[in-house]
Amino acid sequence: MSGEREVVGYGVNGSPIYIDCVEFPFPAIRYKEATPEICALREKELSDWKKLSLQEKKTLYRYSFGQTYAEFQHFTPEWKLIVGIGLWACAIGFLISLSYCAKLYGPFPETFEEERRQAQLRRIIQLEMQPITGLSSKWDYEKNKWK
Amino acid sequence: MLRITAGKLANALRGTVSGTSRVAAVRCLHGTEESAEEFDKRYEKYFSREGIDGWEIRKGMNDLLGMDLVPSPKIIEAGLRAARRVNDIALAIRWLEGCKDKCGDHQATLYPFLLEKISPTLKELGVPTIEELGYDKPELALKSVYDL
Repeated sequence: MSGEREVVGYGVNGSPIYIDCVEFPFPAIRYKEATPEICALREKELSDWKKLSLQEKKTLYRYSFGQTYAEFQHFTPEWKLIVGIGLWACAIGFLISLSYCAKLYGPFPETFEEERRQAQLRRIIQLEMQPITGLSSKWDYEKNKWK
Repeated sequence: MLRITAGKLANALRGTVSGTSRVAAVRCLHGTEESAEEFDKRYEKYFSREGIDGWEIRKGMNDLLGMDLVPSPKIIEAGLRAARRVNDIALAIRWLEGCKDKCGDHQATLYPFLLEKISPTLKELGVPTIEELGYDKPELALKSVYDL
């Protein structure tokens, strides 16, 4: 897993894994395997760091770490993919429910007919259901119409 | 059943009556709260210890960067010197980056202050700042596929 890369720390649960994250910025292993050039540079690093050029410092950094903070915290357009997948899921679900309406469910029961619903309403009013705050409270029984 | 309930109630009441002294006793077991100065000193001492190795430095830095605080300049300097002693400039640069990141929303005010405080050490050790390296912006970022 870690190959020939130098183990330099404990890491996550002791496993030698390289990862760039803010919560755990110093992973257990170096990012690259040691090459002869890197070894030479490491020898040079033993002396004064002022003697190292900027490029050499960068090389040493990239030897230890894969991405800088600015790189791994960079805003990526990944959100578009996530939103896209979400919308696709909604669309597919909508189509499935439409197909149910078209093919699976039969016609509405006869109690859904307008006349029967009217009759049902009439009966509710006659029985004075929910007389305090509900439907019948809105019916004026003296004038026989809605209040 | 009633006896059990009554017994439990009595126990609970006893707990509330003499609770204060017991809480005090328990709190004393944890010792006194560590002040900010003591905390700084502890970590400074940790990083300045003779014979510290990269393993321990990484552990200390990981712990510090996981806490809800910005490391004080003294701790940062001690960390940089520790990196010098184990001969790892990448560690020093990463440590600087981590401390800058910890400034969070106050990066505009806090980071220049930190940099001003630690700049003598940076110059002495030859550690470049993040801006000098150009690491304040993504260096190896790929061009957006939409711009190709």
